[in-house]
Amino acid sequence: MEISIAAEKLFSIGSFPVTNAFLIGFLVSVSLMLVSVFVSRRLTLVPRGVQNVLELIFEGLLGFIDSVLEDKQQSRKFFPLITTIFLFVLLSNWVGLLPGAGTVGLAHMQEGHATIVPFLRSTSADLNFTIALSLIAVFVIQFSGIAALGIIKYGQKFFVSPFHKPYGLGTIMGLLELVSEFAKLLSFSFRLFGNVFAGEILLVVMLHLVPYFIPLPFLFLEVFVGFIQAAVFAMLTLVFLKMAMTEAAH
Amino acid sequence: MEALANLGIDWKLLTAQAVNFLILLFVLRRFAYRPMLDFLEQRSDRIEQGLKDAEAAQVKLAQMEEREKATLAAARSEARSIVEAAEASAKKRDAERLIETEAATKRFTEEARVKIEEEKQKALTEAKQEIAQVVTASVEKILKETVDAAKDQDIIKKSLH
Repeated sequence: MEISIAAEKLFSIGSFPVTNAFLIGFLVSVSLMLVSVFVSRRLTLVPRGVQNVLELIFEGLLGFIDSVLEDKQQSRKFFPLITTIFLFVLLSNWVGLLPGAGTVGLAHMQEGHATIVPFLRSTSADLNFTIALSLIAVFVIQFSGIAALGIIKYGQKFFVSPFHKPYGLGTIMGLLELVSEFAKLLSFSFRLFGNVFAGEILLVVMLHLVPYFIPLPFLFLEVFVGFIQAAVFAMLTLVFLKMAMTEAAH
Repeated sequence: MEALANLGIDWKLLTAQAVNFLILLFVLRRFAYRPMLDFLEQRSDRIEQGLKDAEAAQVKLAQMEEREKATLAAARSEARSIVEAAEASAKKRDAERLIETEAATKRFTEEARVKIEEEKQKALTEAKQEIAQVVTASVEKILKETVDAAKDQDIIKKSLH
């Protein structure tokens, strides 16, 4: 049993190292694209099969986004980002729960003893992905805030003159806000990584300790955690977006 | 940098993941979200339209029923008045005809009576004349043998007075 915080390298294309997490991310996106394109190509007025499921997800998400942003136009604008985050994170979390995750892989000699490099590793259990996604989310949040309020009004959220009403206190609060914008990056990426990675480790450890039945409740727990983390990432992005686009209340 | 490497952070992989996600985002937005949302909107519009149409149809149906009822009522009352009028006119005509018939009968009877009376008078006069003649002739016959001229004259005179 080998536990590695970093995603393991399977092979290289040129100088680019293809890790198991990256491979899974790639496969998840390709299958997501295929299913979505396939379904949206043959939409029928009376929904059937997969269309039902996608419609349920889409309508629920659109309703939720609408309830937060309170603007139909903006809901439609940000719907793709929020939905893609949710779907992609959800699927990559759940892929890590498939049988074979962490156990089936390339035999690998490391420091004199044999280990396995698993083929399946949840994309979310790789910091490269969670940081990349957080960067995108935070960038979109900042950019939307600036676009909605203008650079001066947006900047006034963080740089408050100490000679106005709360005198100095506002200035400190503004600076704290600025720090928290950067903290978002860390909290976003490490929350998702930590939860999913810990879940995978937990399952592997449980499997090694008691192979039958005992890991089942943990498996259910991890299914739930995978959903919750996807929802949290998407919802937080949405809420931060709304906050960024709202004028400061001072 | 050492710490980042220990966490497995590799800028090449990080960029690749970001690009991967962005490609997914744009492909889904172009080929899935937009058609799907448009479709959902279309359908909800259509359902709304359908509901509105159904409501309008119901209102129209109620109006039609109302109108039908009104028309029926009007037709019924008209029919009744026509029948009443027909009955009244029939009764009137019956009465007229009765009066006419009565008058005609009376006239005929009257005429008949007058004619009978005339006939009777005529027959009476004729009978009188004939009887007188017969009597005269028979008297003449009887008297011619027993009565002379003087007596004859006397009788003529008497009968003339």
